[in-house]
Amino acid sequence: MEHSIAVDIAFLLLAVLAVVAGWRVFRTDSMVRASFFLLVSFIAVGAIMILLAAEYLGVAMFFMMAVEMMVMALFMVMFMMNPAGLNPMMMVHQHRLSIVAGGVAFVILAAMALFSSFPADPLPAGLDPVHSLGEEMLGDSMLIFESAGIVLLATMIGVVVLSSHRGRYGAAEEGSMPPGLEPGGDPAGQPEDDESGGGHAHHHHH
Amino acid sequence: MIESLASLLMVTVVLVLGPYVVAVLDRLVATPTGAMAGDVWLGPLSRAAWLLTQQANATEAPDWQAWRLSPALYLALAAVGLAVVPWSPTLIATDLVTSVVLWGSVEALATVVIFLQGWSANAVLPLIGAYRYVALGLSYILISMFVLIGVALPAESLQWTQVVTAQESLWNVIRQPLGLPLFLVVGLGLTFWGPLNLADSTDLAGGTSAEVSGPSRLAWELARAVMLVAFSAIAATAFLGGWLGPWLPGPVWVLLKTLAVLALLLWLGHRLPRVAPERCVTLMWVVLLPLSFVDLIWAGVLALWA
Repeated sequence: MEHSIAVDIAFLLLAVLAVVAGWRVFRTDSMVRASFFLLVSFIAVGAIMILLAAEYLGVAMFFMMAVEMMVMALFMVMFMMNPAGLNPMMMVHQHRLSIVAGGVAFVILAAMALFSSFPADPLPAGLDPVHSLGEEMLGDSMLIFESAGIVLLATMIGVVVLSSHRGRYGAAEEGSMPPGLEPGGDPAGQPEDDESGGGHAHHHHH
Repeated sequence: MIESLASLLMVTVVLVLGPYVVAVLDRLVATPTGAMAGDVWLGPLSRAAWLLTQQANATEAPDWQAWRLSPALYLALAAVGLAVVPWSPTLIATDLVTSVVLWGSVEALATVVIFLQGWSANAVLPLIGAYRYVALGLSYILISMFVLIGVALPAESLQWTQVVTAQESLWNVIRQPLGLPLFLVVGLGLTFWGPLNLADSTDLAGGTSAEVSGPSRLAWELARAVMLVAFSAIAATAFLGGWLGPWLPGPVWVLLKTLAVLALLLWLGHRLPRVAPERCVTLMWVVLLPLSFVDLIWAGVLALWA
């Protein structure tokens, strides 16, 4: 298929952006930054999909990933032990396993890219990508897509319901207190008790 | 070639002049209420010049890159929105077949950018403003999505030019009476303007931009104003028939309709009461979101019937 040099340049720039942003996800020290680097990476991939004439899927990537990464960042801040907003934290763990898994995945994908022969099918002349995608998803496969969607939604709600009673410092129904600074010490970060010291439980309710 | 250059020129002109028009219109609309003092025509310029000469504030250990980028990114999103507005059947910067969805993405990405503006300052009040916008922004996006699907249904297309063409017999503002009022609420929310200014509100001492001063503050306010103009142009395209109209050429009609929506939004911004954020979320989810379902069903039934 004939395409201009501008498409090639755009593809290369977007590919580099996607890879660099993806790499930064693991090198940054904050959940929020990691989420938004991932968002940048996905936006670059979405733009590449538009270059590949997948006009709906590419644009869908923009808004889906925008909302998804925003919600993900929010949930991580809500549920993680150390959300690390602007406080630095180590974002990676199980280093050796991750390095091996990453290396193997890279070799397999690179081998596939280099050694498989991709078909050179030009786009059919009257292709309407939005219409054909709609036919594909909402024609014969509508039942599958709709049921998968409802199952996913139910799973998400279920997970939040099951996990949300467990706060950062214990279960919600037990009343949560931060641990002490020393083992067995008083809860950290609490306001000074007033002089009454009678242990009125309602003083601790905030 | 000439047309694409001309459309790019239009986008640039709106980017440059839009904020001034917003500021002047806002002052004209506010004058009867006595809410704004100062010269209507020179006031915005002197405020901009004053902001430019102010020192840029710094907080303790902010995320500098995100903090400096977020106004620029918000402006870029507004520019993307302007780029999909058709000024005439052919005078359009990007006639993507999924341009309605691209506008939806602009609204979604705006949430991220507004959050970043508040989060990266590393200060309490901006952070509260940022979380507040995320909580509210999700409901704006949902309402907007259903309204936009309703607009796309009679056109049987996700392309703004087709949406306008489908309004040749009847404008969507009459065909889907719930659509424009709901979409206007989305517009005030997206630019956190007037009663829906809960992200940058005075109860948070300026919210996401509480710690922003000087040129960055100017950039942020310019970006908000341009986003309001872009939104008005999209609303004029979606509901008021875009370039359609007698006697005058298409682009003039788009301009007039955009200005009309803009003036209406600014007027609403001064006349509607402010809602508390918690009650605003309830209002969005319990009242406006079901109304947007009704709007969508209305549009669907009409499309089947026609």
